[in-house]
Amino acid sequence: MSNNVIIRFSHATIAYQRRTALTDINLEIFQGEFVGIIGPNGSGKTTMLKSILGLIRPTHGSVQIFDCACHKLRCRHKAKIGYIPQKGQIDPNFPVTVMETVMMGRYSSIGLLRRPSNDDRELVKHALREVEMDGYADAPLGHLSGGQQQRVLIARALVQQPEVLLMDEPTTGIDTPTQYSIIRLISNLQKNLKLTVLLVTHDINMISPYVDRMALINTQLHAIGAPADVLNEKTLTAIYGKQVVVTTKGGGTYVIVGDYHYV
Amino acid sequence: MFEMLSFEFIQRALIASVIIGLVCSIIGVFVILRNLTFIGAGTSHAAFAGVTLGYLINYNPLSFAIVFSLLTVWIVGYLNLKGYLKLDASVGIFYSLTMALAVLFIGLMKVYNAEVYGYLFGSILSVTKGDLAIILILGLAVLSLVYLFFKEFHFITFDEEMAQASGIAAGWLSFLLLTMIALTIVISLKSVGAILVFALIVTPAAAAYQLTFSMIRMFLYSAVIGITASVGGVFLSYWLDLPSGATTVLFVSAMFFLSLIFSPKRGYIS
Ligand SMILES: Nc1ncnc2c1ncn2[C@@H]1O[C@H](COP(=O)(O)OP(=O)(O)OP(=O)(O)O)[C@@H](O)[C@H]1O
Ligand SMILES: [Mg+2]
Repeated sequence: MSNNVIIRFSHATIAYQRRTALTDINLEIFQGEFVGIIGPNGSGKTTMLKSILGLIRPTHGSVQIFDCACHKLRCRHKAKIGYIPQKGQIDPNFPVTVMETVMMGRYSSIGLLRRPSNDDRELVKHALREVEMDGYADAPLGHLSGGQQQRVLIARALVQQPEVLLMDEPTTGIDTPTQYSIIRLISNLQKNLKLTVLLVTHDINMISPYVDRMALINTQLHAIGAPADVLNEKTLTAIYGKQVVVTTKGGGTYVIVGDYHYV
Repeated sequence: MFEMLSFEFIQRALIASVIIGLVCSIIGVFVILRNLTFIGAGTSHAAFAGVTLGYLINYNPLSFAIVFSLLTVWIVGYLNLKGYLKLDASVGIFYSLTMALAVLFIGLMKVYNAEVYGYLFGSILSVTKGDLAIILILGLAVLSLVYLFFKEFHFITFDEEMAQASGIAAGWLSFLLLTMIALTIVISLKSVGAILVFALIVTPAAAAYQLTFSMIRMFLYSAVIGITASVGGVFLSYWLDLPSGATTVLFVSAMFFLSLIFSPKRGYIS
């Protein structure tokens, strides 16, 4: 891992109308790093990703990527950020095929007034192979299972040829073996393509073996560091407001949290 | 049987109906997929209010129709963008506001003017050379915009936030799309009428929606259905001596019900 900072939050506070979602965040993400973002519902995880995408700008402080304020990012830069939004319901009848969906990832690179070329189509096919969804190119997106749809959305992010991948709960609502296969896929892609990955999840135990660092947030950034360093009962209890048990077994760290819905 | 084609007014009606059928059915795909159905209804009433004002002060009714419908979609779009009011609610306000204006303007007219009512129900056989020119110019403008920004419209229709995140000017394109909907309604006003235009926009696209899982093909099917309905409507109304707008709407509705029967989605529509 090189030590180039690729994303930098400096004293960033982000609010919607009157509600503050994130307060005074200071955080540096390095190039090629795999960072997990953990926190209860409403703790500001999605807001964090949206601020990097420039969809919402900080009320105080700054959020920068590629040394540029995120809300001022030009399209050319935005294309370098692959984003997999928190799962919305895909209308099963929406007329869009897998191929068409993945091709959308190319649209901003293709630019205005131009059509997808053969190279773009090759990139799409290649990405579908990487997520093991080749063979589904002409299938309607709405006909796939949740896990398959998630793979397609990962492929759409990959054809952007991103440097950074932002994923918002990519494994929610997916059966456990498939969750692990998706996390392994992301981890392999991250290593092979030297991507910087920020992944939001509620499943601490699932991602802790794969991530370099974990950020624990609840409006504030409570801790950031290697899983073994930040996963302790004191910090976790602070962010979830519930009794948390941390055990270590076979070299791994496991977290058992009570009901962590609303804090 | 085809001697009717030698009449100039029939030729104009046919050219107009091809263009209107095409433009409405293409724009209709976006209207259906982005759930903008109600905005179309609201805008056509606004356009009609513009027409009545034009007749009242005796100045080009179509230009007022353009102004009224553009103002409506822009204000409604702005309120939605700023998060002040959801599209449906603000369209509801404009829907009745503009209708009230229309009634008011008609009431202020000292004499009864049958032409005004022509704009409610449409009469494609009375399209003049001037009307046809406007239909051609605005229709081609709308189609060119769809063609030029096709992939961007495709993206924002599927997933607006994602499009914006990847660097597509989604907010700007949404306004452009609303503008195109307004223009589509304006050019259809005289021939199909404020009340019936809606069928030409929504119904072909809704029928096409039943038939395919590819957005590209949905445009194709919608266009075929839309043109067939509007051209077929002209022929039927001439032969059977029926009002053209109503004939067209009945025809396209029949095609919609057929599409339900043949739908691989088994008639489900969300
Ligand atoms: N568009 C919005 N308008 C107003 N408030 C919002 C908006 N989006 C989020 N919030 C508020 O900001 C806070 C953080 O929301 P955010 O979506 O970032 O949480 P999250 O950590 O992603 O939660 P979850 O685990 O449920 O996805 C919440 O209190 C939420 O109510
Ligand atoms: Mg979230």
